[in-house]
Amino acid sequence: MWDGILTGLTTAVMPFNLLMVVVGCFAGTFIGMLPGLGPISAVALMIPITYGLDPASGIILMAGVYYGAVFGGSTSSILINAPGCASTVVTAFDGYPMAQQNKAGKALALAAYSSFTGGTIGAIILLFAAPALASVSLSFQSGDYFALMLLGLTAVAAFSGKGQVIKALLMTVFGLMIATVGTDITSGTTRFTFGSVDLIDGVSFLLLAMATFALTEVVMTVMRGQHNEQEPEMDMAALGSMKLSREEVKEVAPTIGRSSVFGFIVGVLPGAGATIASFLAYGLERNLASAKEKLKFGKGALRGLAAPESANNAASTGSFVPLLTLGIPGSGTTAIMLGALIAYGIQPGPRLFMDNPDVFWSVIISMYIGNLVLLILNLPLIPYISRLLAIPRPILIPLILFFSITGVYLVSFNTFDIQMMVLITVIAIFLKLLEFPMAPMLLGFILGGIMEKNLGRALTMTDGSFSFLWDRPLTLTITLIAVFVLLFPLLSAMIGKARTRGAEVAVNEGEG
Amino acid sequence: MSITKDHIGGLVFLCLSVAYGYYAGQIPLLPGDEYEPFNAQSLPSALAIIGGVLSIALLVTADRSVEGRLKLAGYDFWLVAKLLLLVSLFAMALPWMGFTLSTILFLVGGYWLLGVRSIKTLLVASVPFAVVLWFLLSQLLDIYLAPGRFFTLMLGV
Repeated sequence: MWDGILTGLTTAVMPFNLLMVVVGCFAGTFIGMLPGLGPISAVALMIPITYGLDPASGIILMAGVYYGAVFGGSTSSILINAPGCASTVVTAFDGYPMAQQNKAGKALALAAYSSFTGGTIGAIILLFAAPALASVSLSFQSGDYFALMLLGLTAVAAFSGKGQVIKALLMTVFGLMIATVGTDITSGTTRFTFGSVDLIDGVSFLLLAMATFALTEVVMTVMRGQHNEQEPEMDMAALGSMKLSREEVKEVAPTIGRSSVFGFIVGVLPGAGATIASFLAYGLERNLASAKEKLKFGKGALRGLAAPESANNAASTGSFVPLLTLGIPGSGTTAIMLGALIAYGIQPGPRLFMDNPDVFWSVIISMYIGNLVLLILNLPLIPYISRLLAIPRPILIPLILFFSITGVYLVSFNTFDIQMMVLITVIAIFLKLLEFPMAPMLLGFILGGIMEKNLGRALTMTDGSFSFLWDRPLTLTITLIAVFVLLFPLLSAMIGKARTRGAEVAVNEGEG
Repeated sequence: MSITKDHIGGLVFLCLSVAYGYYAGQIPLLPGDEYEPFNAQSLPSALAIIGGVLSIALLVTADRSVEGRLKLAGYDFWLVAKLLLLVSLFAMALPWMGFTLSTILFLVGGYWLLGVRSIKTLLVASVPFAVVLWFLLSQLLDIYLAPGRFFTLMLGV
């Protein structure tokens, strides 16, 4: 392991890779600040740039962008009450009231320190957890992989929110359907190409990611009429002091510690991600607070800001565990990174740890460097970076549109891809209006090919019998967890309804 | 009963699953593949069935409240349509006009659609950007950007 860490450290501290972390953090912070564009869009916009880099540098850049975007989202949450992404919505609960009390500088500093600690604790746990899990997963067979992918897909659906489970499952199936377009890798026959030569290679991952996230998000901003809005000018003097007193540090230190560990654990669960971690950490902290302190929540409580900030960064780190060790992304952003790794010809999973130790370890080490960059460079520069937001939206939007489409075009040099992007964007807008989540579709699309390969292999070995799902204890355990995860939201809804009915009956009997 | 977003979504996915299932049955198989436990039709057929079942489940459990209705008011669909048409035109212009000119026209068109009317702004925010980008891509990164067919045909360059 130490050899690997040394290899990773050597790769991560190479001047070019350090530059990638810094550039990634800056670009991510800027994109993350723009309301509507979150880490997924930010990472998607970076994919075409990373194609020209070696795998380690590419993934390091993307990891930097990821952290930067989460940090940028927190900044706009605190300063203008406009969360850049879902995982920083909770940050605004107490961060924005602090900014209104002329404590914006303190809120930004606390957010940065909490993020840094969350990310650091997350990176340390990842350092030990990832290789341990990777060595266990070396014994995995096709059936286990199929069951794991099933778990990943069902978990994403299960965590998608109340009333959204069926929609998320449908989107997963839709993603799997798109993955079947093109040439079947086992038999060589073409499927769903309708005679088009451009579809023989299937739908490109980059095209789908850019169309559904970057392009659709920007177009939705225009559709909502937000393109004429201008970010309020941020006055450096109004930010106030960025220093925290000793008492304040004492108050938030335990919160940051427990929220970081909690966030990491939630982040490891496939599909849970930073958003759920931040909401749960905020709820947990509020429940732990005394009755007097509880009243401060929502009005600028330091603990209310520190908890979600540490949790979302730790969860971002945690979501790399299933990606690096099992090849299953824990969130939409890591799903995009999985696609990028596959495009590099690297198969994430237990073999990554053995075959590409430089990629495996340098990503982990660069995460820590990314956190340092955010703290040392980005925090003092926030007032200057935020000035970029002063670029009028009517100028910024066509430029983002242009980068999205040329990012795809410059990889394939095929204008059919641009037309395909327009079509997919129209479909994505329609689905978004109907409140269908996009991340499960991308996850289904990315896992589709590998899932089909493993299912085919497992079924061939068992001569068409699904007994591979329960023959080995490991596969059976994963399958049962997948079934439980899938049925849990349905069961909890049914139990909730039964309880309400029970309470109604009791009230009626009491009245009678 | 009001038609809600869930109803529309369920119906759309049901139609999609039926069509997908139909075409899954049309996938050509290699001789003998039909006797294999897993072939090119297996996963698509399973997905069509799962998609159909989930669509029906969505229709059955659909939110029937008024809040669940699809609200289209307040959205500027016309502007979005024009922007997407511009993207499509950019794709058509690329092989004919070349990268630089297409980029300038796309950016000018985009700024104009979003309300920029100052000629100076339109040009300053597009021409230097396109030229610098062309220089970066073709001269520094050595990426071949074909000159437009229009110029090769008309000027013979």
